[in-house]
Amino acid sequence: MELLEELKEMGADIQDGLKRFAGKDTLYIKMLKKFPEAASGLEVMSYLESGQQEQALANAHTLKGMTGNLSLTPLYQGYTQIVALLRSDQPEEAKRILEEILPLQASMTACIERNG
Amino acid sequence: MKYMETRQTILVVDDTQFNRELLSEILGDRYRILEAANGAEALTLLEERGKGIALVLLDIVLPELDGFGVLEEMNKRGWIESIPVIMISSESGEDFVDRAYSYGVIDFIGRPFDTSIVRRRAANTIMLYARQHRLEEMVSEEIEKRERSNQLMISLLGQIVEFRNGESGPHIEHIRHITKLLLRQWNLRHDNAFTEEDISRISVASAVHDIGKMTTPEEILNKPGRLTEEEYRIMKDHAAAGGDMIKKLMERYQDPLLETAYEICRWHHERFDGRGYPDGLKGDEIPVCAQVVSIADVYDALTSERCYKKAFDHQTAMEMIAEGKCGVFNEVLLDCLREIGEELKRMLESGY
Repeated sequence: MELLEELKEMGADIQDGLKRFAGKDTLYIKMLKKFPEAASGLEVMSYLESGQQEQALANAHTLKGMTGNLSLTPLYQGYTQIVALLRSDQPEEAKRILEEILPLQASMTACIERNG
Repeated sequence: MKYMETRQTILVVDDTQFNRELLSEILGDRYRILEAANGAEALTLLEERGKGIALVLLDIVLPELDGFGVLEEMNKRGWIESIPVIMISSESGEDFVDRAYSYGVIDFIGRPFDTSIVRRRAANTIMLYARQHRLEEMVSEEIEKRERSNQLMISLLGQIVEFRNGESGPHIEHIRHITKLLLRQWNLRHDNAFTEEDISRISVASAVHDIGKMTTPEEILNKPGRLTEEEYRIMKDHAAAGGDMIKKLMERYQDPLLETAYEICRWHHERFDGRGYPDGLKGDEIPVCAQVVSIADVYDALTSERCYKKAFDHQTAMEMIAEGKCGVFNEVLLDCLREIGEELKRMLESGY
């Protein structure tokens, strides 16, 4: 349960996550461990920087779904905002939010990998 | 659901591997999971497996063809009626949800979701549709059974007439079969002018084409030699007489089957050039169903042994009809007859 404890300290809503996985922590952890690899291919920042807003939106949308289902709540909230901002054509604002949450995403990812 | 022997199949359509894996984890212990990463792949799998897929879990945002595109295609091909779709998406805006329902999805699950909700809704939907499929099967079996017994009784009527003719051969079955084949062929040329229901009705009605012969004296029916002019006139009365018998019924019952049977009985001896009987109808004045039965009747008469003649072989019969030795027929029907020639030959050789 070390992984879950650590993630909880970083702001993940573990309670909610466990509820989503019907109390099955093994499945929850199994899916958490898939997150780093799944997220690694999803670049939002570089698409934003190169002005490819459509691609940025698609990837942010996918990350929103994944982080939501894993109850990585601060990331989920961030990507939810980013998706909304990109839809209303505010890439600069979206980028600002992304800059805020990327360090947290990095540390959560590192934590999951460490506990793998 | 432990009593279920074969596991049912769920098609998971999502471009994100993580999401597919998650759904597989949630449902894989109870169901067989098929995965598609885009809309086009999903359609291919649906095409291959049809109702072998018990449920589709569909994401909206997909490459190639998106979720709505998949739904549109499923509607167009009529699959949405028999294969349930649950949409899963983090798009929970009303317009998205409304649009999904208007395309006929049975349920909408918002992301993030609870695994237990996905399991329950999947199980409920599959059960509901399985029940519907079973009911549909029962109904169509029942209809088939009723149609079969209808057909049997009508064939029996036809058989009575044939028996009085001193014939116990498969004349009725042959004519029904040839009629069906000719109508299908006709359909290829006329943009499916006849529905399957029409074809079934006409071929069933073909069995009674000669019921008017009940009024023909037996010594004329079974006279081995050539008929005198007077005898031939009496013989010819059978067409109008058959029509009259059915007309009587039509006063009491209104049914397309009776109408078709009337047309066939009365006009199956008309000829395209107007030289047939009883009314001397010409060309398109003769209903197609009567034209079809008349050509089927001639082919079968030629290839059967009768009290006044021997049986001709297939080739000779086809030539005699084509050359107009049995009266003039619709050119299109003659083409149709030629096209089903091989099948007729097989039918004749198999003794069916």
